[in-house]
Amino acid sequence: MDRLKSDFSTVGIVLMGVGIVINIAMGRIVTTLSLPLYLDSIGTIFVGAVAGPWVGALAGIISNLIAAFFGNPANFLPYIPVAAIIGFMAGLFSRYGWFKLWWKFILAGVITGVVAALISAPITAYVNSGVVGTGMDALTAAFRGMGMSTLQANFLQGLSTDPLDKSISYLLVYSIIQALPNRYLDRFPRAEYVR
Amino acid sequence: MTVNYGLYVPKQSGIHSLHPLTKLAYLGFCLAVSWVIPGTWTPYLVFLLGIVPLSALGQVLPNILSGAFKAVLPFAISLFVVQGFFWPEGTVLQQIGPFSLKEEGLFFAIRGAGRILMAVSTFLLLSYTTRPDELTLALGQLGVPNSIAYVILSTLQIIPRFQTKATTILDAQRSRGLETEGSLRVRARALLPLVLPLLLSSIVDIEERAIALEVRAFGRQGPKTSLLVLHDTPWQRLLRWLLLLAALGVIVWRIYAALAPRFLS
Amino acid sequence: MIHLRDVTYFYPRATVPALAGLSLDVPAGQFCAVIGANGAGKSTLCYTLAGFVPHFYRGKLTGQVEVAGVDVPAASLAAIAGQVGLVFANPFNQITGARFTVREEIAFGLENLGVPLDEMRARIDDILSFAKLTELAERSPFALSGGQQQRLAIASVLVMRPPLVVLDEPTSQLDPIGSKEVFAVLRDLAATDEATVVLAEQKLEWVAVFADRVIVLHEGRIVADGPPGDVLASGDLTQYGLQPTRYTQAARAALAAGLRRDSAELPVTLEEAVEYFK
Ligand SMILES: Nc1ncnc2c1ncn2[C@@H]1O[C@H](COP(=O)(O)OP(=O)(O)O)[C@@H](O)[C@H]1O
Ligand SMILES: [Mg+2]
Repeated sequence: MDRLKSDFSTVGIVLMGVGIVINIAMGRIVTTLSLPLYLDSIGTIFVGAVAGPWVGALAGIISNLIAAFFGNPANFLPYIPVAAIIGFMAGLFSRYGWFKLWWKFILAGVITGVVAALISAPITAYVNSGVVGTGMDALTAAFRGMGMSTLQANFLQGLSTDPLDKSISYLLVYSIIQALPNRYLDRFPRAEYVR
Repeated sequence: MTVNYGLYVPKQSGIHSLHPLTKLAYLGFCLAVSWVIPGTWTPYLVFLLGIVPLSALGQVLPNILSGAFKAVLPFAISLFVVQGFFWPEGTVLQQIGPFSLKEEGLFFAIRGAGRILMAVSTFLLLSYTTRPDELTLALGQLGVPNSIAYVILSTLQIIPRFQTKATTILDAQRSRGLETEGSLRVRARALLPLVLPLLLSSIVDIEERAIALEVRAFGRQGPKTSLLVLHDTPWQRLLRWLLLLAALGVIVWRIYAALAPRFLS
Repeated sequence: MIHLRDVTYFYPRATVPALAGLSLDVPAGQFCAVIGANGAGKSTLCYTLAGFVPHFYRGKLTGQVEVAGVDVPAASLAAIAGQVGLVFANPFNQITGARFTVREEIAFGLENLGVPLDEMRARIDDILSFAKLTELAERSPFALSGGQQQRLAIASVLVMRPPLVVLDEPTSQLDPIGSKEVFAVLRDLAATDEATVVLAEQKLEWVAVFADRVIVLHEGRIVADGPPGDVLASGDLTQYGLQPTRYTQAARAALAAGLRRDSAELPVTLEEAVEYFK
């Protein structure tokens, strides 16, 4: 209980806001550079890493609400549970000491990507009738053409991007943590797990 | 520059001055009906009867139509292709080369696009006619903590400014010869030097922002007051409860209708 | 109002103290300027008065810190919030972002304190005119210039009516015009004898004009303390990494060149310089 209270301290709250800003701004920059990635959960992962799973999960949830405001609501509102899980998992990885070695970051990213694909698939299939409204849908169409169900096709489509996207996101979080002087890391509720 | 409330379209209308929770309850009801009641055209009917008239009353109909069109179009195209043409089996309506458009898939796509239309248009109608701070204040009345309101409102305002900064840096890097066009690898390599300083400076600022909040008694427990006052009426309160009950009723009825045949047979 | 006794403070991981055995008493109503080179400990002193040392920065604090009747190390930040107002250098970081207009931004602190609506409105109108922000009240805080934003930050703190106001180099990130606007507000603040003010500042010419008392910090210690005329004209200033005001410098140059003989009272402000060179 005390732990939770210190996670959600004023610094934790401001951190959550900055994480959300990073998510949305990164998502946009990536679009500007037309990279085939999302990178829109870097902020969530960082927040989970330094402020624990609960702050991370909430950062993910609010992030998708805000992103709906700045982009296409249909791409963000239904995926709120995915964003929450990503933040929560980052908090767990950090708790168990994964945020100290670079290769563990990549592994954490791959695992996160697989989980994200698993949870996104039923959302895409049942809420958005099987499509994500981007060029990615060509892949879904191809899998459908091979006789797969919408759910299977969506899962494979997610698997083709999410693990790569999330491991690159985790690597970016790694470089952020490496570049931040301890004097600033110290401020965060769970700094001890990443130093 | 004047005050920027995000998607909010400042107009004097009855819809604008409704209590945010009343709008939320109404839109939730419309969404529930459109998603739960079967029928290919149900979502479109709810859109025509439930969303369009209110948008017109709120003087945001053109905004709703263009906003919803832009958001739904990519989904509609994808649905038409993925479900219309790659539906495993069914009545073939049209043969185009090796691909065949199937009736079942087409109807599924039409209904799917309609559901997305409803999700998008309810979100937009609320956002166009409600100031974000009014919405968070109303959510506060439901017990949502103050700190959540802070996070939502401050990010809404900081994101556009952060973006401006990013564009400035992007241009600066470009003028220093950094490639932001060209091959995939080149563009990916451009990413790190572009964003890392920006991310770090926003993280470094957290400390001061938190101090500034504490100075303003943000961490204080106990009752808070508000300069912004929401207008509410007993009628609206009653209406909200009725809408909530109606939405629940529709959902329960649908679940019953789906499960009953299995258990009764 | 302020009572510090043998205060020593180490930031986490630090081996050298940022404050080293510092003692200071400031009576209510005094306008006290704290000067010192970069790294002298001015900000640390400000944070100590506002409770962020030790509550926010942690680290190791020893000695007595009592501000406005509050035992700072024992109190919570939330309890200190209404008692001490803090303004710092970066105007942008002091805007909460959670409010859309200047008026609402000023209200933020009052809302958190639970001030009733009518009183809130009256207090905001007062402070808007005090900080000369009335015309900008319905604008977005983000649409203001640096100087206007800093005046907003000051107004947002003053409106909470804290017995002690602490300002940490409030003009160091502003252009000359913005600095001038902010100093005009500070001068008015000094003229009202209500608030006790501690101002950390490097621009000695301004300090000379309206401080009741000047304290020189050097390596976490107080090395000089007295009325502005004495402290700012003292020959020791350069030894602590500080530049005397240009009026003092001019007088000293005149003295060295043999143009003047009386070394008694060197000027520190424009008015005094005019008098001196008559
Ligand atoms: N957050 C911090 N962590 C560690 N050391 C700090 C921190 N802030 C300041 N210091 C150190 O404390 C000393 C006093 O700094 P400061 O109070 O900021 O001086 P000033 O405001 O007069 O420039 C300096 O040596 C500085 O490096
Ligand atoms: Mg300083």
